[in-house]
Amino acid sequence: MLNFKAKAAFAGLTAATVALTLLTAPLQAQEPRTVVGERYVPTIWVDPDGCEHWVMDDGAEGFMSPHVTPDGKPVCRRGNICGIMPTDQFFATNQHAINSAGKKRLQEFFKSANARTFVIAGHTDSRASDEYNVRLSERRANAVARVGRSVGARISDVRAYGERDPSVPNTSAANMAKNRRVEIYCLR
Amino acid sequence: MKYFKAAVLFVASLSVSACGDISDKTVDQNFGDGSSGDLSQMTAGIWVDPEGCEHWLIDDGLEGYADLRRTPDGKPVCNSELPRNTATGPYKNGSTFLDVL
Repeated sequence: MLNFKAKAAFAGLTAATVALTLLTAPLQAQEPRTVVGERYVPTIWVDPDGCEHWVMDDGAEGFMSPHVTPDGKPVCRRGNICGIMPTDQFFATNQHAINSAGKKRLQEFFKSANARTFVIAGHTDSRASDEYNVRLSERRANAVARVGRSVGARISDVRAYGERDPSVPNTSAANMAKNRRVEIYCLR
Repeated sequence: MKYFKAAVLFVASLSVSACGDISDKTVDQNFGDGSSGDLSQMTAGIWVDPEGCEHWLIDDGLEGYADLRRTPDGKPVCNSELPRNTATGPYKNGSTFLDVL
Protein backbone atom coordinates (compact mmCIF):
# COMPACT_ATOMS: atom_id res chain seq x y z
CA MET A 1 0.00 0.00 0.00
CA LEU A 2 2.77 2.42 0.99
CA ASN A 3 4.56 1.59 -2.19
CA PHE A 4 1.54 2.35 -4.29
CA LYS A 5 1.15 5.84 -2.72
CA ALA A 6 4.75 6.65 -3.48
CA LYS A 7 4.39 5.36 -7.00
CA ALA A 8 1.33 7.54 -7.57
CA ALA A 9 3.23 10.58 -6.31
CA PHE A 10 6.14 9.80 -8.62
CA ALA A 11 3.80 9.25 -11.55
CA GLY A 12 2.18 12.63 -10.87
CA LEU A 13 5.56 14.34 -10.79
CA THR A 14 6.68 12.63 -13.99
CA ALA A 15 3.43 13.45 -15.77
CA ALA A 16 3.81 17.12 -14.81
CA THR A 17 7.35 17.21 -16.18
CA VAL A 18 6.33 15.56 -19.43
CA ALA A 19 3.40 17.95 -19.89
CA LEU A 20 5.69 20.94 -19.39
CA THR A 21 8.14 19.63 -21.93
CA LEU A 22 5.40 19.08 -24.48
CA LEU A 23 3.88 22.53 -23.92
CA THR A 24 7.15 24.32 -24.51
CA ALA A 25 8.11 22.15 -27.46
CA PRO A 26 6.38 24.20 -30.22
CA LEU A 27 8.03 27.43 -29.01
CA GLN A 28 11.49 26.00 -29.39
CA ALA A 29 10.98 23.85 -32.44
CA GLN A 30 14.47 24.64 -33.73
CA GLU A 31 16.13 23.70 -30.45
CA PRO A 32 17.12 20.12 -29.64
CA ARG A 33 14.17 18.61 -27.74
CA THR A 34 14.61 17.16 -24.29
CA VAL A 35 12.77 13.90 -23.72
CA VAL A 36 12.10 13.19 -20.08
CA GLY A 37 11.86 9.46 -19.49
CA GLU A 38 13.21 6.40 -17.79
CA ARG A 39 15.33 3.80 -19.56
CA TYR A 40 13.37 0.58 -20.27
CA VAL A 41 15.45 -1.97 -22.15
CA PRO A 42 13.47 -5.17 -22.81
CA THR A 43 14.59 -8.71 -23.31
CA ILE A 44 12.94 -11.15 -25.71
CA TRP A 45 10.62 -13.98 -24.77
CA VAL A 46 9.94 -16.55 -27.48
CA ASP A 47 6.46 -18.11 -27.43
CA PRO A 48 5.82 -21.80 -28.24
CA ASP A 49 5.07 -20.83 -31.87
CA GLY A 50 8.62 -19.43 -32.10
CA CYS A 51 7.51 -15.78 -32.23
CA GLU A 52 9.17 -12.99 -30.23
CA HIS A 53 7.70 -10.73 -27.54
CA TRP A 54 9.31 -7.76 -25.74
CA VAL A 55 9.29 -8.33 -21.98
CA MET A 56 10.36 -6.23 -18.98
CA ASP A 57 10.19 -6.68 -15.20
CA ASP A 58 10.00 -3.39 -13.33
CA GLY A 59 9.88 -4.79 -9.79
CA ALA A 60 6.28 -5.52 -8.86
CA GLU A 61 5.05 -5.03 -12.43
CA GLY A 62 5.77 -6.96 -15.58
CA PHE A 63 5.23 -5.71 -19.14
CA MET A 64 4.92 -7.62 -22.41
CA SER A 65 4.22 -6.55 -25.98
CA PRO A 66 4.60 -8.33 -29.32
CA HIS A 67 7.69 -7.87 -31.50
CA VAL A 68 6.19 -7.04 -34.91
CA THR A 69 7.30 -5.77 -38.30
CA PRO A 70 5.88 -2.36 -39.38
CA ASP A 71 3.06 -4.15 -41.24
CA GLY A 72 1.92 -5.89 -38.06
CA LYS A 73 3.33 -9.37 -38.64
CA PRO A 74 4.98 -11.17 -35.74
CA VAL A 75 8.78 -11.57 -35.81
CA CYS A 76 9.42 -15.30 -35.49
CA ARG A 77 12.62 -17.31 -35.10
CA ARG A 78 11.92 -20.39 -37.10
CA GLY A 79 10.03 -20.33 -40.34
CA ASN A 80 6.83 -21.01 -38.48
CA ILE A 81 4.70 -21.44 -41.57
CA CYS A 82 3.97 -25.12 -41.21
CA GLY A 83 3.00 -25.83 -44.81
CA ILE A 84 3.36 -23.77 -47.98
CA MET A 85 1.63 -25.33 -50.99
CA PRO A 86 2.91 -23.96 -54.30
CA THR A 87 -0.48 -23.81 -56.05
CA ASP A 88 0.99 -24.76 -59.45
CA GLN A 89 1.53 -28.30 -58.12
CA PHE A 90 -2.06 -28.65 -56.92
CA PHE A 91 -4.30 -26.51 -59.16
CA ALA A 92 -4.60 -25.80 -62.88
CA THR A 93 -4.45 -22.11 -63.92
CA ASN A 94 -7.51 -20.22 -62.60
CA GLN A 95 -8.99 -23.44 -61.21
CA HIS A 96 -9.64 -24.46 -57.65
CA ALA A 97 -10.09 -28.23 -58.00
CA ILE A 98 -7.19 -30.18 -56.47
CA ASN A 99 -5.81 -33.06 -58.55
CA SER A 100 -5.90 -36.53 -56.98
CA ALA A 101 -2.13 -36.74 -56.40
CA GLY A 102 -2.34 -33.39 -54.64
CA LYS A 103 -5.26 -34.55 -52.52
CA LYS A 104 -3.27 -37.54 -51.36
CA ARG A 105 -0.25 -35.42 -50.42
CA LEU A 106 -2.48 -33.01 -48.54
CA GLN A 107 -4.24 -35.76 -46.61
CA GLU A 108 -0.86 -37.13 -45.54
CA PHE A 109 0.21 -33.65 -44.50
CA PHE A 110 -2.87 -33.02 -42.34
CA LYS A 111 -2.59 -36.44 -40.72
CA SER A 112 1.11 -36.14 -39.84
CA ALA A 113 1.18 -32.46 -38.83
CA ASN A 114 0.34 -33.24 -35.20
CA ALA A 115 -1.59 -29.99 -34.72
CA ARG A 116 -4.65 -29.15 -32.63
CA THR A 117 -6.11 -26.95 -35.35
CA PHE A 118 -5.16 -25.31 -38.67
CA VAL A 119 -5.58 -21.90 -40.32
CA ILE A 120 -5.53 -21.81 -44.15
CA ALA A 121 -4.59 -18.68 -46.13
CA GLY A 122 -4.82 -18.43 -49.95
CA HIS A 123 -2.61 -16.12 -52.08
CA THR A 124 -2.21 -15.38 -55.81
CA ASP A 125 0.21 -13.41 -57.99
CA SER A 126 -0.64 -9.92 -59.26
CA ARG A 127 -2.07 -10.83 -62.67
CA ALA A 128 -5.83 -10.33 -63.20
CA SER A 129 -7.94 -8.02 -61.04
CA ASP A 130 -7.70 -7.68 -57.29
CA GLU A 131 -11.31 -8.82 -56.78
CA TYR A 132 -10.85 -11.85 -59.03
CA ASN A 133 -7.68 -12.84 -57.18
CA VAL A 134 -9.32 -12.55 -53.76
CA ARG A 135 -12.12 -14.84 -54.95
CA LEU A 136 -9.71 -17.32 -56.57
CA SER A 137 -7.55 -17.52 -53.44
CA GLU A 138 -10.69 -18.02 -51.34
CA ARG A 139 -11.91 -20.91 -53.50
CA ARG A 140 -8.47 -22.54 -53.38
CA ALA A 141 -8.10 -22.09 -49.60
CA ASN A 142 -11.58 -23.58 -49.12
CA ALA A 143 -10.65 -26.56 -51.32
CA VAL A 144 -7.61 -27.20 -49.10
CA ALA A 145 -9.75 -26.83 -45.97
CA ARG A 146 -12.19 -29.44 -47.32
CA VAL A 147 -9.36 -31.96 -47.76
CA GLY A 148 -8.23 -31.27 -44.20
CA ARG A 149 -11.73 -31.73 -42.79
CA SER A 150 -12.14 -34.96 -44.78
CA VAL A 151 -9.35 -36.55 -42.71
CA GLY A 152 -10.63 -35.15 -39.42
CA ALA A 153 -8.50 -32.00 -39.15
CA ARG A 154 -10.01 -29.03 -37.32
CA ILE A 155 -9.84 -25.86 -39.46
CA SER A 156 -10.35 -22.78 -37.30
CA ASP A 157 -10.13 -20.16 -40.07
CA VAL A 158 -9.90 -19.83 -43.87
CA ARG A 159 -8.40 -16.55 -45.16
CA ALA A 160 -8.23 -15.13 -48.69
CA TYR A 161 -5.53 -12.54 -49.45
CA GLY A 162 -5.58 -12.59 -53.26
CA GLU A 163 -2.59 -10.58 -54.49
CA ARG A 164 -2.48 -8.29 -51.44
CA ASP A 165 0.20 -10.07 -49.40
CA PRO A 166 2.93 -11.26 -51.80
CA SER A 167 5.86 -13.12 -50.24
CA VAL A 168 8.23 -11.65 -52.87
CA PRO A 169 7.77 -8.74 -55.35
CA ASN A 170 5.87 -9.76 -58.51
CA THR A 171 8.82 -8.79 -60.71
CA SER A 172 9.59 -12.05 -62.54
CA ALA A 173 7.92 -15.29 -63.59
CA ALA A 174 9.78 -17.15 -60.85
CA ASN A 175 8.68 -14.66 -58.19
CA MET A 176 5.06 -14.80 -59.36
CA ALA A 177 5.15 -18.59 -59.04
CA LYS A 178 6.37 -18.17 -55.46
CA ASN A 179 3.44 -15.86 -54.71
CA ARG A 180 0.87 -18.37 -56.01
CA ARG A 181 0.53 -20.35 -52.81
CA VAL A 182 -1.75 -21.61 -50.06
CA GLU A 183 -0.24 -21.27 -46.58
CA ILE A 184 -1.21 -23.67 -43.80
CA TYR A 185 -0.58 -22.56 -40.20
CA CYS A 186 -0.45 -25.41 -37.67
CA LEU A 187 -1.57 -24.53 -34.14
CA ARG A 188 -0.30 -26.95 -31.52
CA MET B 1 -0.47 19.90 3.91
CA LYS B 2 2.98 19.88 5.48
CA TYR B 3 2.28 16.53 7.07
CA PHE B 4 1.13 15.15 3.74
CA LYS B 5 4.32 16.27 2.01
CA ALA B 6 6.45 14.82 4.75
CA ALA B 7 4.56 11.55 4.51
CA VAL B 8 5.01 11.39 0.76
CA LEU B 9 8.73 12.09 1.10
CA PHE B 10 9.11 9.45 3.77
CA VAL B 11 7.24 6.87 1.76
CA ALA B 12 9.23 7.79 -1.33
CA SER B 13 12.52 7.28 0.51
CA LEU B 14 11.27 3.94 1.81
CA SER B 15 10.31 2.71 -1.64
CA VAL B 16 13.64 3.84 -3.12
CA SER B 17 15.66 2.09 -0.45
CA ALA B 18 13.53 -1.04 -0.72
CA CYS B 19 13.72 -1.50 -4.46
CA GLY B 20 17.01 0.18 -5.25
CA ASP B 21 17.77 1.02 -8.86
CA ILE B 22 16.00 -1.42 -11.14
CA SER B 23 17.96 -0.65 -14.26
CA ASP B 24 18.04 -4.21 -15.57
CA LYS B 25 14.45 -4.95 -16.61
CA THR B 26 15.32 -8.25 -18.25
CA VAL B 27 15.38 -10.47 -15.14
CA ASP B 28 12.75 -11.26 -12.53
CA GLN B 29 13.12 -8.70 -9.71
CA ASN B 30 11.30 -10.61 -6.98
CA PHE B 31 13.18 -13.26 -5.06
CA GLY B 32 11.20 -15.76 -3.05
CA ASP B 33 8.18 -15.84 -5.36
CA GLY B 34 9.38 -19.03 -6.99
CA SER B 35 11.03 -17.47 -10.00
CA SER B 36 14.09 -15.28 -10.26
CA GLY B 37 15.56 -16.07 -13.61
CA ASP B 38 15.99 -14.48 -16.99
CA LEU B 39 12.63 -13.45 -18.45
CA SER B 40 13.39 -15.29 -21.71
CA GLN B 41 13.07 -18.63 -19.89
CA MET B 42 9.41 -18.29 -18.83
CA THR B 43 6.83 -20.92 -19.83
CA ALA B 44 3.39 -20.01 -21.07
CA GLY B 45 -0.07 -21.49 -21.13
CA ILE B 46 -3.03 -20.49 -23.27
CA TRP B 47 -5.89 -18.30 -22.11
CA VAL B 48 -8.99 -18.03 -24.27
CA ASP B 49 -10.78 -14.68 -24.08
CA PRO B 50 -14.59 -14.30 -23.98
CA GLU B 51 -14.70 -13.98 -27.81
CA GLY B 52 -12.73 -17.19 -28.40
CA CYS B 53 -9.29 -15.74 -29.28
CA GLU B 54 -6.13 -17.25 -27.78
CA HIS B 55 -3.52 -15.43 -25.68
CA TRP B 56 -0.21 -16.56 -24.18
CA LEU B 57 -0.46 -16.43 -20.39
CA ILE B 58 2.47 -16.48 -17.96
CA ASP B 59 2.34 -16.38 -14.16
CA ASP B 60 5.92 -15.49 -13.14
CA GLY B 61 5.35 -15.35 -9.39
CA LEU B 62 4.53 -11.78 -8.43
CA GLU B 63 4.23 -10.69 -12.05
CA GLY B 64 1.82 -11.84 -14.69
CA TYR B 65 2.19 -11.50 -18.45
CA ALA B 66 -0.26 -11.96 -21.31
CA ASP B 67 0.07 -11.38 -25.03
CA LEU B 68 -1.95 -12.14 -28.14
CA ARG B 69 -1.21 -15.31 -30.08
CA ARG B 70 -0.85 -14.56 -33.81
CA THR B 71 -0.46 -16.54 -37.00
CA PRO B 72 2.45 -15.55 -39.32
CA ASP B 73 0.14 -13.21 -41.30
CA GLY B 74 -0.32 -11.11 -38.15
CA LYS B 75 -3.93 -12.05 -37.45
CA PRO B 76 -5.15 -13.36 -34.09
CA VAL B 77 -5.79 -17.05 -33.45
CA CYS B 78 -9.55 -17.18 -32.84
CA ASN B 79 -12.45 -19.66 -33.06
CA SER B 80 -10.59 -21.67 -30.43
CA GLU B 81 -12.01 -25.06 -29.53
CA LEU B 82 -10.61 -24.57 -26.01
CA PRO B 83 -13.17 -23.36 -23.44
CA ARG B 84 -13.57 -19.58 -23.15
CA ASN B 85 -12.52 -17.63 -20.02
CA THR B 86 -10.20 -20.53 -19.18
CA ALA B 87 -6.43 -20.91 -18.87
CA THR B 88 -4.73 -24.19 -19.81
CA GLY B 89 -1.14 -25.42 -19.90
CA PRO B 90 2.01 -24.81 -17.82
CA TYR B 91 1.47 -21.08 -17.24
CA LYS B 92 2.17 -21.34 -13.48
CA ASN B 93 5.54 -23.09 -13.86
CA GLY B 94 7.38 -19.96 -12.73
CA SER B 95 5.40 -19.41 -9.55
CA THR B 96 5.37 -20.79 -6.04
CA PHE B 97 3.76 -17.53 -4.91
CA LEU B 98 0.46 -18.28 -3.24
CA ASP B 99 -2.22 -16.46 -5.24
CA VAL B 100 -4.91 -16.04 -2.65
CA LEU B 101 -6.65 -13.24 -4.50
